[in-house]
Amino acid sequence: MGNPRSESNKGDQVKFQEELKDNIRKALPELDVVIGWCGSFDPLHATPHFMRREEDIDKLEISPLSVHNLATYLPGLRGKKVGIVVKGCDSRSVVELLQENLINREDITIFGFPCTGVVDQSKIKKALGGHTGNIEFCDMSESVIVIKSEDKAYTLPMAEMLADKCSSCRYPDAVISDYFAGEKIGNKGEEDADYAAVETFENLSVPERFGYWLKEFDRCIRCYACRNACPLCVCRDHCAAESRDPHWLSQENNVRDKLMFQVIHAYHLAGRCTECGECQRACPVDIPVLMFKQKMNKEIRDTFQYEAGVDPEATPPLLSFKMKEENITEKVW
Amino acid sequence: MPVLTGKELRIVGFLCNWCSYGGADTAGIGRFNQPTDLRIIKVPCSGRIDPLFVVKALMNGADGVLVSGCHPRDCHYAEGNFYARRRLEIMHNFLPIIGYEPERFEYTWVSASEGQRWQQVVTSFTEQIHKLGPAPKILGPEASDTLSLMQAAL
Amino acid sequence: MKVGVFVCHCGSNIEATVDTAAVAAAAREFPGVVFATDTMYTCSEPGQDEIVNAIKEHNLGGIVVASCTPRMHEQTFRRTVERAGLNKYLFEMANIREHVSWIGKDREANTNKSVDLVRMATEKLLRNRPLYSKKFDINKRVLVIGGGVAGIQAALDCADGGLEVVMVEKTSTIGGKMAKLDKTFPTVDCSSCILGPRMVDVAQHPNITLYAYSEIEEINGYVGNFEIKVKKKATYVNWDSCTGCGICMEKCPSKKATDYFNEGIGKTTAINIPFPQAIPKKAKIDPDFCTKLTKGKCGVCAKVCPSGCIDYEMQDEFVTEKVGAIVTATGYDLFDWSVYGEYGAGRYPDVITGLQYERMLSASGPTGGHIKRPSDGKEPKNIVFIQCVGSRDKSVGRPYCTGFCCMYTAKQAILTKDHLPDSQSYVFYMDIRAVGKLYDEFTRRAMEEYDTKYIRGRVSMIYPKGEKLLVRGADTLMGSQVEVDADLVVLAVGAEASAGASELAEKLRISYDSYGFYMEGHPKLKPVETNTAGVYLAGACQGPKDIPSSVAQGSAAAAKVLGLFSKDQLESDPQVSIVDIKRCIGCGKCIQTCPFGAIKEMEFRGMVKADVIETICQGCGICTSTCPQGAIQLQHSTDNQILSEVNALCQF
Repeated sequence: MGNPRSESNKGDQVKFQEELKDNIRKALPELDVVIGWCGSFDPLHATPHFMRREEDIDKLEISPLSVHNLATYLPGLRGKKVGIVVKGCDSRSVVELLQENLINREDITIFGFPCTGVVDQSKIKKALGGHTGNIEFCDMSESVIVIKSEDKAYTLPMAEMLADKCSSCRYPDAVISDYFAGEKIGNKGEEDADYAAVETFENLSVPERFGYWLKEFDRCIRCYACRNACPLCVCRDHCAAESRDPHWLSQENNVRDKLMFQVIHAYHLAGRCTECGECQRACPVDIPVLMFKQKMNKEIRDTFQYEAGVDPEATPPLLSFKMKEENITEKVW
Repeated sequence: MPVLTGKELRIVGFLCNWCSYGGADTAGIGRFNQPTDLRIIKVPCSGRIDPLFVVKALMNGADGVLVSGCHPRDCHYAEGNFYARRRLEIMHNFLPIIGYEPERFEYTWVSASEGQRWQQVVTSFTEQIHKLGPAPKILGPEASDTLSLMQAAL
Repeated sequence: MKVGVFVCHCGSNIEATVDTAAVAAAAREFPGVVFATDTMYTCSEPGQDEIVNAIKEHNLGGIVVASCTPRMHEQTFRRTVERAGLNKYLFEMANIREHVSWIGKDREANTNKSVDLVRMATEKLLRNRPLYSKKFDINKRVLVIGGGVAGIQAALDCADGGLEVVMVEKTSTIGGKMAKLDKTFPTVDCSSCILGPRMVDVAQHPNITLYAYSEIEEINGYVGNFEIKVKKKATYVNWDSCTGCGICMEKCPSKKATDYFNEGIGKTTAINIPFPQAIPKKAKIDPDFCTKLTKGKCGVCAKVCPSGCIDYEMQDEFVTEKVGAIVTATGYDLFDWSVYGEYGAGRYPDVITGLQYERMLSASGPTGGHIKRPSDGKEPKNIVFIQCVGSRDKSVGRPYCTGFCCMYTAKQAILTKDHLPDSQSYVFYMDIRAVGKLYDEFTRRAMEEYDTKYIRGRVSMIYPKGEKLLVRGADTLMGSQVEVDADLVVLAVGAEASAGASELAEKLRISYDSYGFYMEGHPKLKPVETNTAGVYLAGACQGPKDIPSSVAQGSAAAAKVLGLFSKDQLESDPQVSIVDIKRCIGCGKCIQTCPFGAIKEMEFRGMVKADVIETICQGCGICTSTCPQGAIQLQHSTDNQILSEVNALCQF
């Protein structure tokens, strides 16, 4: 083990983790695999953890480092009996996959827990002065993260290190689960999502907005990590980005195609994206690619009063219509 | 051919085969004068129009995009324009985040009998685009190619 | 592909404002173009021969013609390239007449625009693929929906032509609106004498299966192979043994049932046969009024029925019929005139509709053919007819002319005088629309021989005055106000699409206008076709029609069906969607959005994939714009074809 974090992190966290492990122990004999998180190459990181045998369960760790949305793995495991541990936001991706018939409900066992938020590694990296190599120690409480790196100790306020999506989270508890460990925090789905950042950006002038994206996407290396991390990018090997038929994008290194790809991604996610933020988290050059999806969701919400990832039986708004659309005012010529 | 500098802007139209393309024909048969900027791409149905075609046109240098289909309930395929309306509306409202004025893209309904309405739509949309001026263009593979020119323009 | 480009002068139609030679010269520089020229009239025989020769001489693989709209000559030129041995889809048109030369005089701009359009067409053509039609077997049976005069005509013509016909009628008897009429204009001959024998023919024709008191539940399939689910509503009477003797009707103690056939003039019994000539002549129970069904008490009909066919437990039953074509003849209903406050909004019993008056005039109607005021049963003396109630009136959302009201009002005025020689009829009208053989002569007779007073103007108010109704209106020809003490007011209520028409349209996947009338394929050239292959229209479901027009359209629809079935196999339009199996992830979004149910799931090596049924696909392409991975592509309008057009126009 040797992970200093797990020894010092006591309290509720430990209690529900044990309950969660018991849940998984109960269910595992009927399942091919259960996906959760465990410690990784250093104490500041976690990694997806595939539990096949009972002893694997001991390694399971839930913490603010459990950033990955594990739902991304589900379509690839179709046909197998899969258990999955989900944060509130992750569970909404599961709902979407169910809605789109990309996974079968009877094959999936969902383990929920009350999520109090996960960290944004980019923020930590910044607080650590830009490099996160050689982490020797990491301890987390509700209020702070204590990190030792190269003989220097840092005490970072937890609230400032949380991912943006967590500070305005309305779904801390899984919206769908077969087992739930710990006490529910309480979802606030009836409240509106917070799109203040999008609105602020939209107040910029046209050249400022256009110029901003050109500058941001200039960094893009077309690695498609954003797409690969997206739980709803289900086309996989047949993504429009790398196809000649249809031939939406060239393979040239130009900012036009980079920008176009993000619009394609956002539009393909319209009415489906749950804003789990995996695209932005995965981006190795920190391009704020989530904003396009947030804007799309804002429009979907305002026009159709629809939010993705809540109801597995719902029909996404762009796959349906009304004869009379209450919130669409067509241009009068 | 490049646009006629100082005279025209590049406007792309996507028209459904059954209503609006016919409406544009009716306008022609009636010799209803129209600005020359618009180039029409014929599609079977407004429901065939992937809103991403609109973005593709803008990013490739169009200054305006106009979509026209059958009036709601009149769709040759019963439902195509209902889907189109939802999808195009969302894309219309999405454009500002990229840095395009939403007025650069409009969608509307013109039936095969409405030659005059078509003339009015084309004329007023062309005016709208000329009022906005040329759309922001991406001028080279690197952002700096465009940004330096944009700075110069500002 | 080697491309040839032909830029047409169209005489001076194009050449006057487009430099066609310059367009051809510019086209020669486009990738793929090996031959380009301008021609005087490309569609003429020498023009077409030039294309054929160029294909042979230059070994061309595809042709672009820049001329008029493809709606004009696409078929022409497709045949031309086919004649030269090319697949007809290796052809594109650039519309430089309707969309260029005819809408502006700036030669420089027009020439420039024409070059763009030719470039666009060329780029598209380079991505065209040969497409081939498929042949498929058809089921030579026809469904007729609606048993009014139009449906009867269509059914009999089809049946006489040797086809098996399935007729579905919503009410318990066929005959429709015509069966309710006393006489018909302009001949004043007995409506049921004309229609009755035709109804009997339907019942007795060996090729016709009649489902009365039934509705269409579901329609699946496509031209040549439709599958129809018919709901046979519970009649509570076993029609196999019911002889229509009518003893149940005589003995039924519940005599307050709504008499739909008689338009609410009078009441009928809870178990009833709508009228003596009904086809089929079978009794049914109205469950709203039968005390056995509502309260569990009575059972008289079961006791008196000599053939023991009453079944209070009967449930709706569903049957499936397979047909190859459908004729829709669902007719019309009357506009709800109670929106007119000035006519009393339904409060005055002596203000009735023309159709109610028709039942009153009928010898087999509830009054035995005597004209009586509904309020007190007295014979009226002054009768006022008001035209255009729910017709040509934007204020109630009915701007169209129903077309036959002028004529039936004239007929009713004539019949009134025949029934009550001492009576006086007044007609308030807007214009008299009497277009048709012997129609205008007929309205003249009403005025001149039958002394009907025609007053050109609208009625502003009807209100009771003692036993009478005071009708106040304007005479716009005299410029004066008119008041008539009326004993009875008959409203010429306009027609609207029959109740449930829009729901049926959705099942049939045909379009309808904002009034619920079904859209014909083309207002001039396809008046009985719809835009859904294999579905035809007959009668007033397409728009208000009188009897001769309905009958004519019934026959026309039958002719279309017989024509369709004259071949053993049909050819499909190859401009349909196809699925790239390896790109499809089986999410089913295309299935969800296809308006035609043309896409189904299939299993491929244990995975779910989408599969297009080519013969059902209508080629709209909604699926293509829905599929995020571009796995389903509408042929001849693929993503790459449209993208190539966009790229041709917008080159950064």
